[in-house]
Amino acid sequence: MSNSAIPSSTIPMEGSSVAEFSWEVRSPLDRALVAGPYGAQGDAGVALTEIRNFDLVQVMARRGKASEMAQAAQARFGVAAPETPKSIGTSDATLIWSGPDQFFVLSKGGKHSIEALAPGFAGSASLSDQSHARALISISGMKARTMLAKLSSIDLHPDVFGVGAAAATSMDHTSVTLWRGQDRGGQAVFNLLVFATFAESLWHTVLDSAAEYGVTISHSEEL
Amino acid sequence: MRIVCPFCGERELGEFTYLGDAKPQRPAADAGEEAVYDYVYLRDNIAGVMNEHWYHGAGCRAWLKVTRNTLTHEISAVEPAAGAGAAKVGA
Repeated sequence: MSNSAIPSSTIPMEGSSVAEFSWEVRSPLDRALVAGPYGAQGDAGVALTEIRNFDLVQVMARRGKASEMAQAAQARFGVAAPETPKSIGTSDATLIWSGPDQFFVLSKGGKHSIEALAPGFAGSASLSDQSHARALISISGMKARTMLAKLSSIDLHPDVFGVGAAAATSMDHTSVTLWRGQDRGGQAVFNLLVFATFAESLWHTVLDSAAEYGVTISHSEEL
Repeated sequence: MRIVCPFCGERELGEFTYLGDAKPQRPAADAGEEAVYDYVYLRDNIAGVMNEHWYHGAGCRAWLKVTRNTLTHEISAVEPAAGAGAAKVGA
Protein backbone atom coordinates (compact mmCIF):
# COMPACT_ATOMS: atom_id res chain seq x y z
CA MET A 1 0.00 0.00 0.00
CA SER A 2 1.40 3.43 -0.90
CA ASN A 3 1.92 6.11 1.71
CA SER A 4 -0.77 8.26 0.22
CA ALA A 5 -3.49 5.66 0.71
CA ILE A 6 -6.19 6.85 3.06
CA PRO A 7 -6.91 4.47 5.92
CA SER A 8 -10.21 2.91 5.11
CA SER A 9 -11.72 3.89 8.45
CA THR A 10 -11.57 7.55 7.43
CA ILE A 11 -13.42 7.08 4.11
CA PRO A 12 -17.01 8.21 4.49
CA MET A 13 -19.12 5.30 3.26
CA GLU A 14 -22.25 7.36 2.86
CA GLY A 15 -22.35 10.11 0.29
CA SER A 16 -20.24 11.16 -2.65
CA SER A 17 -16.78 9.96 -1.53
CA VAL A 18 -17.50 6.33 -2.34
CA ALA A 19 -15.89 5.43 -5.64
CA GLU A 20 -18.30 5.13 -8.49
CA PHE A 21 -17.64 2.19 -10.76
CA SER A 22 -18.38 2.21 -14.42
CA TRP A 23 -18.73 -1.26 -15.88
CA GLU A 24 -17.63 -1.43 -19.46
CA VAL A 25 -18.56 -4.37 -21.63
CA ARG A 26 -15.46 -5.72 -23.31
CA SER A 27 -14.45 -8.95 -24.92
CA PRO A 28 -12.64 -11.56 -22.82
CA LEU A 29 -10.12 -11.59 -25.70
CA ASP A 30 -9.72 -7.81 -25.65
CA ARG A 31 -6.18 -8.12 -24.33
CA ALA A 32 -5.00 -11.28 -26.09
CA LEU A 33 -6.30 -10.60 -29.58
CA VAL A 34 -3.91 -8.65 -31.79
CA ALA A 35 -5.44 -8.08 -35.20
CA GLY A 36 -3.21 -8.77 -38.18
CA PRO A 37 -0.92 -11.55 -39.37
CA TYR A 38 0.62 -14.11 -37.02
CA GLY A 39 3.02 -17.01 -37.42
CA ALA A 40 4.37 -18.25 -40.73
CA GLN A 41 4.59 -15.64 -43.47
CA GLY A 42 2.94 -15.88 -46.85
CA ASP A 43 -0.65 -16.82 -47.59
CA ALA A 44 -2.38 -17.45 -44.28
CA GLY A 45 -3.70 -20.99 -43.91
CA VAL A 46 -5.97 -20.16 -40.97
CA ALA A 47 -8.26 -17.18 -40.37
CA LEU A 48 -9.32 -16.50 -36.78
CA THR A 49 -12.15 -14.05 -36.22
CA GLU A 50 -13.53 -13.27 -32.82
CA ILE A 51 -17.23 -12.39 -32.98
CA ARG A 52 -18.22 -9.72 -30.45
CA ASN A 53 -21.46 -8.31 -29.09
CA PHE A 54 -23.79 -11.25 -29.56
CA ASP A 55 -26.82 -12.42 -27.64
CA LEU A 56 -26.52 -15.96 -26.33
CA VAL A 57 -29.22 -17.66 -24.29
CA GLN A 58 -29.15 -21.23 -23.02
CA VAL A 59 -32.55 -22.92 -23.06
CA MET A 60 -32.95 -26.05 -20.90
CA ALA A 61 -36.16 -28.05 -20.65
CA ARG A 62 -37.69 -28.32 -17.22
CA ARG A 63 -38.25 -31.82 -15.87
CA GLY A 64 -40.64 -33.68 -18.14
CA LYS A 65 -41.28 -30.58 -20.28
CA ALA A 66 -39.13 -31.32 -23.33
CA SER A 67 -42.07 -31.54 -25.74
CA GLU A 68 -43.53 -28.27 -24.42
CA MET A 69 -40.12 -26.65 -24.90
CA ALA A 70 -39.94 -28.00 -28.45
CA GLN A 71 -43.37 -26.52 -29.20
CA ALA A 72 -42.33 -23.16 -27.77
CA ALA A 73 -39.16 -23.19 -29.89
CA GLN A 74 -41.15 -24.06 -33.01
CA ALA A 75 -43.55 -21.18 -32.30
CA ARG A 76 -40.72 -18.74 -31.66
CA PHE A 77 -38.29 -19.63 -34.43
CA GLY A 78 -40.43 -21.42 -37.01
CA VAL A 79 -38.11 -24.44 -36.95
CA ALA A 80 -37.72 -27.42 -34.68
CA ALA A 81 -35.05 -27.00 -32.01
CA PRO A 82 -32.09 -29.38 -32.44
CA GLU A 83 -32.57 -32.70 -30.62
CA THR A 84 -29.24 -34.13 -31.73
CA PRO A 85 -25.80 -32.50 -31.97
CA LYS A 86 -26.37 -30.00 -34.78
CA SER A 87 -26.99 -26.33 -35.39
CA ILE A 88 -30.02 -24.91 -37.15
CA GLY A 89 -29.97 -21.50 -38.79
CA THR A 90 -33.08 -19.32 -38.96
CA SER A 91 -33.36 -15.92 -40.61
CA ASP A 92 -32.19 -14.11 -37.48
CA ALA A 93 -30.84 -16.73 -35.04
CA THR A 94 -28.81 -19.91 -34.80
CA LEU A 95 -30.00 -22.73 -32.55
CA ILE A 96 -27.13 -24.91 -31.36
CA TRP A 97 -27.54 -28.20 -29.51
CA SER A 98 -25.66 -28.14 -26.20
CA GLY A 99 -26.84 -31.35 -24.51
CA PRO A 100 -29.96 -33.49 -24.08
CA ASP A 101 -33.05 -31.27 -23.98
CA GLN A 102 -31.06 -28.06 -24.16
CA PHE A 103 -29.77 -25.67 -26.79
CA PHE A 104 -28.26 -22.24 -27.30
CA VAL A 105 -29.93 -19.35 -29.09
CA LEU A 106 -27.27 -17.21 -30.77
CA SER A 107 -28.40 -13.91 -32.26
CA LYS A 108 -27.67 -10.20 -32.49
CA GLY A 109 -29.39 -6.94 -31.75
CA GLY A 110 -31.63 -7.99 -28.87
CA LYS A 111 -34.42 -9.62 -30.87
CA HIS A 112 -33.80 -12.94 -29.14
CA SER A 113 -32.36 -11.67 -25.86
CA ILE A 114 -33.30 -13.46 -22.66
CA GLU A 115 -35.97 -10.85 -21.97
CA ALA A 116 -37.49 -11.41 -25.41
CA LEU A 117 -37.42 -15.21 -25.11
CA ALA A 118 -38.62 -15.55 -21.52
CA PRO A 119 -42.41 -15.23 -22.04
CA GLY A 120 -42.51 -17.89 -24.77
CA PHE A 121 -40.63 -20.46 -22.70
CA ALA A 122 -42.33 -19.70 -19.37
CA GLY A 123 -43.13 -23.00 -17.68
CA SER A 124 -41.40 -25.25 -20.22
CA ALA A 125 -37.73 -24.26 -20.00
CA SER A 126 -35.21 -22.48 -17.83
CA LEU A 127 -33.30 -19.72 -19.58
CA SER A 128 -29.81 -18.53 -18.75
CA ASP A 129 -28.16 -15.50 -20.34
CA GLN A 130 -24.68 -16.47 -21.55
CA SER A 131 -24.05 -13.39 -23.74
CA HIS A 132 -21.16 -12.17 -21.60
CA ALA A 133 -20.13 -15.61 -20.35
CA ARG A 134 -18.69 -16.97 -23.59
CA ALA A 135 -16.29 -15.93 -26.28
CA LEU A 136 -17.11 -16.83 -29.87
CA ILE A 137 -14.29 -17.64 -32.27
CA SER A 138 -14.80 -18.34 -35.94
CA ILE A 139 -12.12 -20.47 -37.62
CA SER A 140 -11.73 -20.85 -41.37
CA GLY A 141 -9.05 -21.13 -44.01
CA MET A 142 -7.40 -23.89 -46.02
CA LYS A 143 -5.71 -25.33 -42.93
CA ALA A 144 -8.53 -24.83 -40.42
CA ARG A 145 -9.39 -28.52 -40.14
CA THR A 146 -5.75 -29.62 -40.03
CA MET A 147 -5.13 -27.13 -37.23
CA LEU A 148 -8.23 -28.19 -35.28
CA ALA A 149 -7.19 -31.83 -35.55
CA LYS A 150 -4.34 -31.02 -33.16
CA LEU A 151 -6.80 -29.79 -30.53
CA SER A 152 -9.90 -31.91 -30.96
CA SER A 153 -10.58 -35.63 -30.97
CA ILE A 154 -13.71 -35.07 -33.06
CA ASP A 155 -13.58 -36.24 -36.67
CA LEU A 156 -14.10 -32.99 -38.61
CA HIS A 157 -13.89 -34.52 -42.09
CA PRO A 158 -16.69 -33.07 -44.24
CA ASP A 159 -18.16 -36.57 -44.77
CA VAL A 160 -18.76 -36.81 -41.03
CA PHE A 161 -18.92 -33.22 -39.81
CA GLY A 162 -20.84 -31.38 -42.52
CA VAL A 163 -22.41 -27.94 -42.51
CA GLY A 164 -24.67 -27.72 -39.46
CA ALA A 165 -22.90 -30.44 -37.47
CA ALA A 166 -22.28 -29.55 -33.82
CA ALA A 167 -20.52 -31.05 -30.81
CA ALA A 168 -20.27 -30.41 -27.11
CA THR A 169 -16.69 -31.43 -26.52
CA SER A 170 -13.38 -30.35 -25.08
CA MET A 171 -10.21 -28.79 -26.47
CA ASP A 172 -7.07 -28.55 -24.40
CA HIS A 173 -9.08 -29.73 -21.36
CA THR A 174 -11.52 -26.87 -21.87
CA SER A 175 -15.22 -27.43 -22.57
CA VAL A 176 -16.30 -25.94 -25.87
CA THR A 177 -19.31 -25.91 -28.14
CA LEU A 178 -18.16 -26.48 -31.70
CA TRP A 179 -20.28 -26.27 -34.80
CA ARG A 180 -19.80 -25.91 -38.54
CA GLY A 181 -21.46 -22.82 -40.00
CA GLN A 182 -22.26 -22.05 -43.61
CA ASP A 183 -19.24 -22.31 -45.90
CA ARG A 184 -17.66 -19.00 -46.83
CA GLY A 185 -15.77 -18.60 -50.09
CA GLY A 186 -15.97 -22.36 -50.64
CA GLN A 187 -14.27 -23.06 -47.33
CA ALA A 188 -15.53 -24.65 -44.13
CA VAL A 189 -16.20 -22.35 -41.17
CA PHE A 190 -15.89 -23.78 -37.66
CA ASN A 191 -17.40 -21.81 -34.79
CA LEU A 192 -16.21 -22.21 -31.24
CA LEU A 193 -17.94 -21.07 -28.06
CA VAL A 194 -15.72 -21.13 -24.99
CA PHE A 195 -16.22 -19.97 -21.40
CA ALA A 196 -15.09 -16.35 -21.06
CA THR A 197 -12.57 -17.07 -18.32
CA PHE A 198 -10.97 -19.85 -20.41
CA ALA A 199 -11.05 -17.90 -23.67
CA GLU A 200 -7.60 -16.35 -23.37
CA SER A 201 -5.98 -19.67 -22.54
CA LEU A 202 -7.65 -21.47 -25.43
CA TRP A 203 -6.91 -18.54 -27.74
CA HIS A 204 -3.17 -18.92 -27.12
CA THR A 205 -3.43 -22.68 -27.65
CA VAL A 206 -5.22 -22.12 -30.95
CA LEU A 207 -2.58 -19.59 -32.01
CA ASP A 208 0.22 -22.01 -31.16
CA SER A 209 -1.54 -24.71 -33.15
CA ALA A 210 -2.14 -22.44 -36.16
CA ALA A 211 1.18 -20.57 -36.25
CA GLU A 212 2.91 -22.96 -38.64
CA TYR A 213 0.23 -22.38 -41.30
CA GLY A 214 0.20 -18.60 -41.00
CA VAL A 215 -2.77 -16.86 -39.37
CA THR A 216 -4.93 -13.84 -40.12
CA ILE A 217 -6.44 -12.46 -36.91
CA SER A 218 -9.41 -10.13 -36.75
CA HIS A 219 -12.57 -9.39 -34.83
CA SER A 220 -16.02 -8.66 -36.10
CA GLU A 221 -19.48 -7.67 -34.96
CA GLU A 222 -21.11 -9.81 -37.64
CA LEU A 223 -22.35 -13.29 -36.83
CA MET B 1 -10.71 -46.50 -23.96
CA ARG B 2 -13.64 -44.76 -25.62
CA ILE B 3 -17.26 -44.46 -24.57
CA VAL B 4 -20.12 -44.11 -27.03
CA CYS B 5 -22.25 -41.40 -25.42
CA PRO B 6 -25.91 -41.97 -26.35
CA PHE B 7 -26.22 -38.23 -26.96
CA CYS B 8 -22.84 -37.26 -28.49
CA GLY B 9 -21.47 -40.40 -30.10
CA GLU B 10 -18.04 -41.94 -29.60
CA ARG B 11 -15.74 -39.85 -27.39
CA GLU B 12 -12.36 -40.26 -25.75
CA LEU B 13 -12.08 -41.27 -22.11
CA GLY B 14 -10.74 -37.84 -21.10
CA GLU B 15 -14.16 -36.29 -21.58
CA PHE B 16 -15.69 -38.56 -18.92
CA THR B 17 -15.44 -38.85 -15.16
CA TYR B 18 -15.94 -42.15 -13.35
CA LEU B 19 -18.34 -42.19 -10.44
CA GLY B 20 -18.53 -45.87 -9.50
CA ASP B 21 -20.92 -48.78 -9.10
CA ALA B 22 -24.39 -47.98 -10.41
CA LYS B 23 -26.05 -50.73 -8.37
CA PRO B 24 -26.45 -49.20 -4.87
CA GLN B 25 -29.87 -47.66 -4.38
CA ARG B 26 -30.54 -45.07 -1.72
CA PRO B 27 -32.41 -46.87 1.08
CA ALA B 28 -35.77 -45.67 2.32
CA ALA B 29 -35.68 -43.04 5.07
CA ASP B 30 -36.72 -45.61 7.70
CA ALA B 31 -34.48 -48.43 6.44
CA GLY B 32 -32.14 -48.25 9.41
CA GLU B 33 -28.48 -47.54 10.05
CA GLU B 34 -27.16 -50.78 8.59
CA ALA B 35 -28.82 -50.22 5.22
CA VAL B 36 -27.45 -46.67 5.05
CA TYR B 37 -23.97 -47.87 6.02
CA ASP B 38 -24.14 -50.48 3.28
CA TYR B 39 -25.31 -47.90 0.74
CA VAL B 40 -22.65 -45.32 1.60
CA TYR B 41 -19.58 -47.49 2.26
CA LEU B 42 -19.82 -51.10 1.10
CA ARG B 43 -18.92 -51.92 -2.48
CA ASP B 44 -18.42 -55.16 -4.36
CA ASN B 45 -15.05 -55.47 -6.06
CA ILE B 46 -16.26 -57.07 -9.26
CA ALA B 47 -13.88 -58.85 -11.61
CA GLY B 48 -16.07 -58.99 -14.68
CA VAL B 49 -19.15 -57.23 -16.00
CA MET B 50 -20.60 -54.45 -13.91
CA ASN B 51 -22.79 -51.37 -14.26
CA GLU B 52 -21.07 -48.06 -13.59
CA HIS B 53 -22.00 -44.41 -13.55
CA TRP B 54 -19.94 -42.13 -15.79
CA TYR B 55 -20.32 -38.39 -16.24
CA HIS B 56 -19.78 -36.79 -19.66
CA GLY B 57 -18.52 -33.58 -18.06
CA ALA B 58 -16.46 -32.28 -20.98
CA GLY B 59 -19.28 -32.97 -23.41
CA CYS B 60 -23.05 -32.90 -22.98
CA ARG B 61 -22.81 -33.11 -19.17
CA ALA B 62 -25.15 -36.11 -19.04
CA TRP B 63 -24.85 -38.95 -16.51
CA LEU B 64 -24.52 -42.34 -18.14
CA LYS B 65 -24.91 -45.93 -17.05
CA VAL B 66 -22.11 -47.95 -18.62
CA THR B 67 -21.93 -51.75 -18.63
CA ARG B 68 -18.23 -52.56 -18.59
CA ASN B 69 -16.10 -55.64 -18.10
CA THR B 70 -13.48 -54.65 -15.53
CA LEU B 71 -11.13 -57.39 -16.75
CA THR B 72 -11.11 -56.47 -20.45
CA HIS B 73 -12.51 -52.90 -20.44
CA GLU B 74 -15.02 -54.07 -23.01
CA ILE B 75 -18.11 -51.87 -22.91
CA SER B 76 -21.27 -53.74 -23.86
CA ALA B 77 -23.92 -51.06 -23.23
CA VAL B 78 -24.24 -47.34 -22.54
CA GLU B 79 -27.51 -45.70 -21.62
CA PRO B 80 -28.59 -42.42 -20.02
CA ALA B 81 -28.71 -42.62 -16.25
CA ALA B 82 -32.02 -41.82 -14.59
CA GLY B 83 -32.47 -38.07 -14.82
CA ALA B 84 -30.08 -37.52 -17.71
CA GLY B 85 -32.05 -35.29 -20.02
CA ALA B 86 -35.02 -33.69 -18.33
CA ALA B 87 -37.39 -35.41 -20.75
CA LYS B 88 -36.38 -38.84 -19.50
CA VAL B 89 -37.81 -38.18 -16.05
CA GLY B 90 -41.44 -37.62 -15.18
CA ALA B 91 -42.47 -37.57 -18.84
